[in-house]
Formats: sequence, C-alpha cells, structure tokens
Amino acid sequence: MADSKNSSKVSSDKTDRKRANSPYADATAKRLKSESKTEKPNPYLAHWEDESNMNNGFSKGSPFKAFKRRQTTAKQAAKAEDSDNNPFTGQPHSQQYFNILKTRRNLPVHKQRQEFLDLYQKSQILVFVGETGSGKTTQIPQYVVYDELPHLNHKMVACTQPRRVAAMSVAQRVADELDVTLGEEVGYSIRFEDKTSSKTMLKYMTDGMLLREAMHDHEMSRYSCIILDEAHERTLATDILMALLKQITQRRPDLKLIVMSATLDAQKFQRYFCDAPLLAVPGRTHPVEIYYTPEPEKDYVEGAIRTVLQIHAGEPEGDILLFLTGEEEIEDTCRKISLEVDELVRETDAGPMAVYPLYGTLPPYQQQRIFDPPPNPSKKGGRPGRKCIISTNIAETSLTIDGIVYVVDPGFSKQKIYNPRLRVESLLVSAISKASAQQRAGRAGRTKPGKCFRLYTEKAFKEELIEQTYPEILRSNLANTVLELKKLGVEDLVHFDLMDPPAPETMMRALEELNYLACLDDEGELTPLGSLASEFPLDPSLAVMLISSPEFYCSNEMLSITALLSVPQIFVRPAQKRREADEMKNLFKHPEGDHLTMLNVYHAFKGVMNRGEDTKMWCHQHYLSFRHLSSADNVRAQLKRIMETQGLELVSTDFHDKNYYTNIRRALVTGFFMQVAKRENNKIYRTLKDNNSAVMLHPSTVLGADYDWVVYNEFVMTSKQYIRTVTGIRPEWLLELAPVYYDLETWEGQKDVKQALKAVAEKMRRRNAMKGGK
Amino acid sequence: MTSNESDHDEYDDVPLQHKRPFGSGLKRKRVVFVPASSGPLNSTEENTTPKPSKSVSDLYLSIVLPKETSTAAAKEQADKDAPKICEVCSLPVNENENAKLGTIDTGKTEEKTTSRPHEASIAHQVCMTHSHPPSAVDRSRMGLGVLQSQGWDLDSRRGLGALEQGMQHPIKVTPKNDNLGIGVKVPKNLPPKKEKVQKLDAKKVRKMAEEDKRRHERLRHQFYGNSEVEKYLGPG
Repeated sequence: MADSKNSSKVSSDKTDRKRANSPYADATAKRLKSESKTEKPNPYLAHWEDESNMNNGFSKGSPFKAFKRRQTTAKQAAKAEDSDNNPFTGQPHSQQYFNILKTRRNLPVHKQRQEFLDLYQKSQILVFVGETGSGKTTQIPQYVVYDELPHLNHKMVACTQPRRVAAMSVAQRVADELDVTLGEEVGYSIRFEDKTSSKTMLKYMTDGMLLREAMHDHEMSRYSCIILDEAHERTLATDILMALLKQITQRRPDLKLIVMSATLDAQKFQRYFCDAPLLAVPGRTHPVEIYYTPEPEKDYVEGAIRTVLQIHAGEPEGDILLFLTGEEEIEDTCRKISLEVDELVRETDAGPMAVYPLYGTLPPYQQQRIFDPPPNPSKKGGRPGRKCIISTNIAETSLTIDGIVYVVDPGFSKQKIYNPRLRVESLLVSAISKASAQQRAGRAGRTKPGKCFRLYTEKAFKEELIEQTYPEILRSNLANTVLELKKLGVEDLVHFDLMDPPAPETMMRALEELNYLACLDDEGELTPLGSLASEFPLDPSLAVMLISSPEFYCSNEMLSITALLSVPQIFVRPAQKRREADEMKNLFKHPEGDHLTMLNVYHAFKGVMNRGEDTKMWCHQHYLSFRHLSSADNVRAQLKRIMETQGLELVSTDFHDKNYYTNIRRALVTGFFMQVAKRENNKIYRTLKDNNSAVMLHPSTVLGADYDWVVYNEFVMTSKQYIRTVTGIRPEWLLELAPVYYDLETWEGQKDVKQALKAVAEKMRRRNAMKGGK
Repeated sequence: MTSNESDHDEYDDVPLQHKRPFGSGLKRKRVVFVPASSGPLNSTEENTTPKPSKSVSDLYLSIVLPKETSTAAAKEQADKDAPKICEVCSLPVNENENAKLGTIDTGKTEEKTTSRPHEASIAHQVCMTHSHPPSAVDRSRMGLGVLQSQGWDLDSRRGLGALEQGMQHPIKVTPKNDNLGIGVKVPKNLPPKKEKVQKLDAKKVRKMAEEDKRRHERLRHQFYGNSEVEKYLGPG
C-alpha cells in the first residue's frame, strides 16, 4: 500500500514521454518475423526448438542479445537492468527507474536471484516461501519475465493475488519498477476491470479472474508461467487453481508454476505438488516476545481495552495493533479507548494517543489514516505520542503497517461459515488458529523487536486453538464453484485433486442447488442455461435471474438490481445521525420491498448523474455511499456487456404500466425461490424447506407487515436471526415459476406451508377453470 | 484350535433376543469357551465358514461382519511356533495364553485362567475392521446420485478428493454471542438468579389480598361443592 504512494507521480512522467516513433514497431515486426520462421507442426514446442533462431532475431544493441530463454543468469539480468535503454520498450530509462532499482537491489529476495533462477529453470513447479516484506510479490514475477522473455514467444506471465486492490497496486508498482506504462507491458485484470493490452507480458490478476479465463482456455495456453501468490491464504479460487494447474502442468510440460506462500507451512504445498523444490527467503523481521494471561479472560473486549491502556502507560515508544472481530465492536472500542486515554493523559503524564479503526468496509480515505505518523508529544519534552490501530483480521496478512511494536490478540476473528444443512452462509465470531495467532504476533516485529499480548492462557493456545485456519473451500457454498468446475471441464467432482476436499454433503448441496436452478440436469451435467450462467461472474442464482429477466420484460431493471446486490450496502447510517439517515432512506422507499427501494435509489442516482449534478454531494446529502453506488454502476455496465455478447435482450416494461414492479418481483422469484420466508405470526417469519428457522425482518427493511410471503437476499445470524433485503411476493409465483422446488407431491415437513400452498394451488386451478369457461 | 471354532458357533447358536446389538463394543467382555464336542480338529479351513442359517439376522450379520477373526485365527494356527505378530493389531500374540487355551477342556479350569485370549484384548478389538451402520442421508437426493455415479460410496465413511481423503462432515460452528475469552469455562449449573425484591404499595397489597381470597373461595367451593363429599360429610 505504501508503495502506491509515490507511484502516481511516476506514471504521469511517463505518459509525457514521447512514444511516437519508438523502436517498438521494429520489435513487433521482428516478433512477427521470428514467428513466421517457426513453422513447426507443434506450435507449443516451437519456442523450445527455435531458441537459437529467435536469439538471432535480436537487434545488435539489445541487452537481451546474449539471453537464452530459461537459461539466463542473474548477472545477465542485472546487466540488462543497468543498461541505459529499457530492454522491453527500447526507450531510455528514466532517473526514477534507477532510483527504484537501487531500493529493489536491497530487498531480501535480490540476494537469492541466482538461486531462484537455478531452481526455476530446473523444475516445472516451484514452491517459494518469503515472509511479508521480502519483496517476493513485486520481484519474483520480474525475475521470471527476464528469464521467460515473454515479449518474444507471445506467452504471458501471470501472477495471481487474492485481492483486487493488491492486484491493482502491485501492478502499478511493478510497472514503475520496469519503467513501463501500466496497462501496456505490465497490466492487471480484476473482476469488472481489465487493464491489459496486446503488448502485455506480465499480468497481475485476481485468482478468480484467472479461473474465469481458464473456463474458455482449459490449457491456459496464453501463459508460459503462472505464479500463485499468497497461496497460504487458501482462497477458494487459489485452491481450485492449484488443483487445476496440477493437472495442466502434466499435460503441458512447457508451463511453469510457482506457488508463493508467506508462511512456513509450505511443506504442505510441497507435498501436494509431488515434492516440488522449495526456496525460502527470510523476511525482515525482528524477534517478538509473546505473553499470555495466567487465567482465561472473562471479557475479551474489556481485557483488550485494559491491555492497550497498560501498554500506553507503561511501555516505551511504539504503535499498538489490536485485533477485534467486527465493525461495530471496533468502533465501540475505539470510542472507549479514546475516552480512557483522555483520562489517562489528564491523570498521569502519559503521551497522546491517536486511535484508528480499520475494517474492510471503511472508506479508503479513512483507511489511509492508519498510515499517518503518530501524534507529537503534547508538550515539549513530554512523552512521545503513539497510535493505536484497532483492526479486523485484514491487518493480519493483507496490509502491512510499519511502526507496530505491540500487538494485542484476544484470539477471535469473524469467519464465513457455510452450513449445507441450513443452506446458510454466515459470518460468525470464532477462535482463530495457531497459525493465525503466530501471524498476528509477527506483525509486532516489522520495524524493531516487539511484544505480543495474547488474552488467553498458554494452555488454551496449545489445546484449544486449531492448527490452521480452515481454507475457504471448506467454509463456503460451493454452488458457484461447482458450476465453474463443470465449465472448466472437470467431470469427476469426487476425485478432483483438491488440497483440502470439501465435505461430501456440501458438494451434494451445491449440486442440488444448481439442479433446482436448472443449471445442471438430474445427472449432474451442465445444461445450456448453466453454461450461460457460468459466463456471468455472479452467484448462480443471480445469473439465472438475470438470464430469465427478458421473459419478464425487465432485464434493464434486473441488471441494476443484480449490480446493486453485488456491491456492499449502499445505504450509509452513521451512528450519530441514524434518524436523519432513515428519513432520507424513506424518500426512496418502495412499499413492496428493499430490492425495489434500492432500484429507486439507483434511478435517482442516475438521474442526478445525467443532469450533470454533483453526485458525490448528492450521495452525501442522502446518506448513500457514493463509492458503492458508482461501483454498482460500473458492475452494471460490465454485466450489460456480457448480456449483449450472450445475445440477451435488454428490455423494460413501460414505467406507467401497472405491472412494472410486479414483473420485477416475479423475476426476483426466478433466482431467489430458494430463499423464501412465510409469515407465521405478527413479526415472525419462517424460512422454507431445509432452512426451517424462525426469523425476523432485519430492522433496516422498508417492508411493512403487508406481505405473508417474502424473498430475501441474505440470512443474517447474530444473536437473533434476521433476513435482510426483503421483497414481498405472491405465493402463486412460487408454484408457477419454481414448480420443481415447490412440488407439493414430494413436499416433506412444514405441514402448514404445504397446506397454504395447496390452497393457493387450488385457487389458481379454479381461476384458470373460470377463465377456460368464459 | 477348538476355542476359535466355538467362538464362531456362538454367533449362530445365540438366540436372537440375546444377541447384543450390532456395533456395541464387540468383545469387551471376557470370552467364555466350551470344548468342541467332536474333539480337536486337524484342519481349520473346513470350519471357518459359519453354518448357513435361516435367520434373517444371521444372514445380515454374515454379510456385514468381516471374517477377520477367523482368518487371523487360521494364520495364528498355521505358524504357531514362530513368535507371532497379530495381523490385525500388529501386537505380539502371547504364546502361553493360546497354549493354555488350547488345553482347556472344562469350564472350571477356564474360569481360573487369569489371562484372556489375545483376540479378546481391547487392543485387538479396537483394531479390528468392522463395518459401520449405514449413513442416514436421504438416498433419493440428486447430489448423492451424482457423487455415487462418480464412484463415491456413501457408506464407506470416506470424503472426496484424489484418495477420498477429504473431510467427511462439514465444519460446525456455534454462534458466539458473548464476550467470553478463549478458554473460559462456564459452569453448567449456575445458581439460580435471585429475584429482585419487589416493592409494593398499599394498592397492590390490597389487590393481591383480594385475589388470594377469591382463589381460596373458589377452591373451597370446588371442594365442598362436590356432591359426593357433601353426601359423605352429611348436611350441617
């Protein structure tokens, strides 16, 4: 993150540079020439056979003259890097480039460049371990580029990242380091945004994007080397990519794979990839002393607050990082600590302390504040100030904050857990793993020796914490994954070689969900609808809803709703101004439900935008998130493009037609018929079928008590069970639009619901008979 | 080895109602032996298979019960002289015990032997492969059908994956709605909370007294209003 600070300046410099008559044209011409030479029967192996030929293709002055693909040395590369002209573009290097080069050469990985190249050239798969700060994410892909020479053989190098932000900022940084323009030689590709060109040789991308690409290119033939970064995070997409690439590398001996991990459990990766060689680079870390409580802590939040104050009062200079679980808890604790510190300052001579929250949904400018320097002493010669960052586990791996010396770890985090019996994915507070605790402790030793205070006993650490955090694939709904796997051509779901295969029950549930959505047939084969649905980077239910929306003459509207459902909550409700925020929300209120209310917001937002007014101001006034609304707008544009390429009609019902909203609600049912609740009494609803639980409408809903049947977008499990984002529907639609799921012949359990649906069916039958009689 | 043979006969001869339910700790208890009526046998192979029986439960048991005990026993018999390692639990088999058991011919002496046969030891029992009760998952599920068609066996107690090494059950987590730290044990039987002392004003007291009185009256009426009681007590 810190890297991206000075990057914007650099890129602007570069765009100024003239590119008009660059020797690039020559380079392309040469590339074409060399291509025409290599007319061998097997295009895959062409570059193996013809390396000598290709090398002849270099112009005399090229720094790559002596390079042989996959036989280069660190010395050669260093020489090329030092040359006056950029070896890839032919442009002269900027001064900035040489400045960066100097810092790059100080990174821990640089010392092992030759060692890396030796191993890389020798083996097809390589496991690379480097702690955060070793420079692996930025440097290793460049080392590979200098060895693969991708501008000559038309095959790219890809480096995956679990997070979009990381992919974008790292790509920018590496573009600066290579002295090229972002989007040309170095680019990135994330969901809903592709910043690459035909020149791109190094591509940073989210792991999900590479997976989507693989759906159309099962051999990943565009790449000569794939680097899976942050593999220790074990995201769903990385896990699937590992299994997929394990297969592909057997079919394609020319494809190289590097798995990069930040933690030392890399042996697991090694074992999984048939004892691939491992290279470890030490990070820049300092020792961290670890402390436990002698007795379990009764209240971990209170314990955490007391610990922070204790550190502030008694420990020497250095910033504090406290890990808590969620937004509300963090904001609350921020307030409490600030108050307590004020008191502490008044009573003793303690220095000032700045307290910052940090969580995923925090707006970026507020997230940036954590990088502010700590406050100055309140008076001259007074005790130094410090900052205290209270964070969710995003500060555990993904974000590096320098200056942290003290870590307070209560041992909890919020984790997504999927329950296939209830078909509910929920965020639950649970104890962290040992690996995670160690990672947290490590955050204290980034700048100097640090201390970690764990709010549990050593015995609890040893006996109660699990070894490793469960990888995402074991904690997720697999409906989307199964659809992707089917599209990726994976036939045998049972023996697909995943590192941690999910429970059979989760798999069965995913298959059944897709079956109900008609994406898979009864034998588990992909249907045309399923194939189409997999084109959308969406949940299958949303994709199916979007695909069927033209039948209800409301695909434009469903496009908006889908986009709005794929971004975080658009309504802002600050703790101090709840009433005002709710009043503003009421302006957009649609009595039939939250989906329609969100649609109203979007239409109003677009209206403001089209009138050319200040949308940011307008959002601020109306307590809406400008960031999320504009990203919804962006998502909508992308989805629209997919709709168009797939030949799906974009239609709307006339707004004055009385069926305008009814059509939308009916279209909602086609995707969400598995997420329906029926009212039991006054405020209690009961969700149907497998997830048979009593729920309440989330307090944020605009829906009154007018509807006995509702569809919901989200099942929220907290101290109470809520359904969030609800819209009222008519039970007839369930029987009409999802006859398989609501088949009364095979209905089991929930007798009252069956009775009610039977009555509805009877009514429908009679009405039809009447119509027929007329 | 007669003891093993009789061991098998036991399954057939025990009446159904005395059979322990399948799966309940197979042979934790001491095994009781009786000498075979036909005397010691020369070949063990002949009698390793249990007699066919007409009982349905016997048929079921013959399908689900592995024949491990018998084959293991046969092996033991074969290389009796060598120091043997039990195939099932890979523990050394105590020669003396077996020899002793071989010579037992009356119930009395048998009761006196303090050591048990190796097959009866807990270590051996625990290591024995035995089939599990079938899974309770609904067999008509579409997802199950797909997995089965790809070669997964629901009752095999295996997961997914290349070697079917994956987890068998989804992760279970109970929601945590308190701030208790890690390792805090909440005692199960907390003393019941003391009820708050209510403050009553005159009006409430009057009301309560009235209600009390009414209830008392009603009870009395119910009791004395009963005709049978009245008859018994007599008029007056």
